[in-house]
Amino acid sequence: MSEEIVSVQGLDHTYLAGTPLATAALRGAELCVRRGEVAALVGPSGAGKSTLAHFLNGLLRPAARRQVVVFGQDTAEPSCDLVALRRRVGLVFQYPHQQLFERYVGDDVAYGPRQLGLAGEELRERVRWAMEIVGLDFESFVDRHTFSLSGGEMRRAALAGVLAMRPELLILDESTVGLDPRGRREVHALLRRLRREEGLTILLVSNDMDEVAELADQVTVLYAGQTVLAGEVHEVLAQGELLRRYGLSSPTAVEIIHELRRKGLAVTSGAITPYEAEEAIWQAMKP
Amino acid sequence: MASHEALRHLTIGQYIPADSPIHRLDPRAKLLAAGGLIIAGVVASKYSNVLFLALLVAVLVKVAGLRLRSALANLVPVMPVLLVMALLQILFYGGASRSAGPNRLLVEWGLLHISAESVRVIVVTWARFVALFLLITLLTSTTTASALTRGLEGLLRPLDRLHLPGHEIALVGAIALRFLPILGEQLEAILQAQASRGVSESRSRWHLLANARRMAQVIVPLFVDAYHRAEELILAMQARCYHGGKGRTYLIPFRSRPADYVAVILSISLAVLAGVLQYSTLP
Repeated sequence: MSEEIVSVQGLDHTYLAGTPLATAALRGAELCVRRGEVAALVGPSGAGKSTLAHFLNGLLRPAARRQVVVFGQDTAEPSCDLVALRRRVGLVFQYPHQQLFERYVGDDVAYGPRQLGLAGEELRERVRWAMEIVGLDFESFVDRHTFSLSGGEMRRAALAGVLAMRPELLILDESTVGLDPRGRREVHALLRRLRREEGLTILLVSNDMDEVAELADQVTVLYAGQTVLAGEVHEVLAQGELLRRYGLSSPTAVEIIHELRRKGLAVTSGAITPYEAEEAIWQAMKP
Repeated sequence: MASHEALRHLTIGQYIPADSPIHRLDPRAKLLAAGGLIIAGVVASKYSNVLFLALLVAVLVKVAGLRLRSALANLVPVMPVLLVMALLQILFYGGASRSAGPNRLLVEWGLLHISAESVRVIVVTWARFVALFLLITLLTSTTTASALTRGLEGLLRPLDRLHLPGHEIALVGAIALRFLPILGEQLEAILQAQASRGVSESRSRWHLLANARRMAQVIVPLFVDAYHRAEELILAMQARCYHGGKGRTYLIPFRSRPADYVAVILSISLAVLAGVLQYSTLP
């Protein structure tokens, strides 16, 4: 087993505690992410996924010790160095337009590395690397106005701004929502590449079960602020009935296999991606 | 503390649903009554009058089923201003006389001269501030933004003859109120995004240039977002055939009940009484 870099145990959080508008967002959430893996955090809207993500880079801090430990640091400790933590944990927000704040794309991507003390040629190279890896051509985008970008370009720019800090853990908070199929495919390919080439650990916060089946190794299901299911991706996604009860769906491949079995075709279950489903159906149909 | 939740803690202007005699009042009556009490609060400057008023508003807050403590908690951010004001008044009010009289000297210690009059000014200012603050909190906590708008519109209706666009004025006010919490959330999101990208939290306030730059990095995205929202709002209003207030009817028309008249009459009488007590020569 590789090193555990995120450990969340029994985490509670109430927004606006002590006012008439108090709402409990997390009640005993659990999460574990190991180095080098792609973990997925799934759950219906309002389950507390974003709140939990905000705890992981210290935007929110727990009231009690040992509840949130990231890279061996307990974020409840007053001495916890949040700036250092945020350099290691890159968080890409749900809405990219909330994340971009500099006037030019190049400046915005350079913002993080500048805070790290990079300058001159080194900074330029870092920005070029981050922009090229997300598919924004450096020469044509570096001097574009941030707020004139299209939705998809904004997402890429936001991702580049986070990647430019070379984080060790990348958290994507529903970061493919609103992308067209091609844009989503490109982001998926990018995530695979980052994992393979940079050894990046990724936490995918998502509602899209096909995406989760495609990319994740481990899945944690959050429902009403509680961790209700966690485990290896095939194990979790095979539980269609349970997922439906938690307001989620199964990946398309699981649904197809389920329907075929119901109609009497002897397909082995356990496929979660289209490729695996194709393999299973081929095996069943082979004379 | 690096928690970015502080902005949402402001509950000023936040409607708190409940069923109380104050919630049930006609918004027009509530606006008029609040106006009467505000006048009373501004006019009153004797210990007894202003303390009575603060007490009255506190009782009304209780009647509305609100928690006095959470209403008062919103005062915390303005405490420094009130403290500085009190300090200045103690130091510089002056005019104290050694003989017994309305402005007799209470404490004399070096340069410090505390007179009865300066103490009165401080107490009255604080009580007045608390009373007015609670009053506004009471009004906005018991009245939805749309009811406030319609109330204001109703009160401005007589000015239609003067071609004053009452409906439009009320609408502008309502939209501003409605968007305040949204802008607050937006601001919070921007600060979170920037913190996530390695802005160090504690920078000396004397880094003037750096701080001005930081401010621009927050204000610009906030404004861009606000303009986007405004454009979307216009489209949404046009899509639903909005054409101003002319000829518009309401789902639930206002109907004034005896309680509304009582509230308005009582508060206006209080305002008149406060004026009479203040300026009468009676002992």
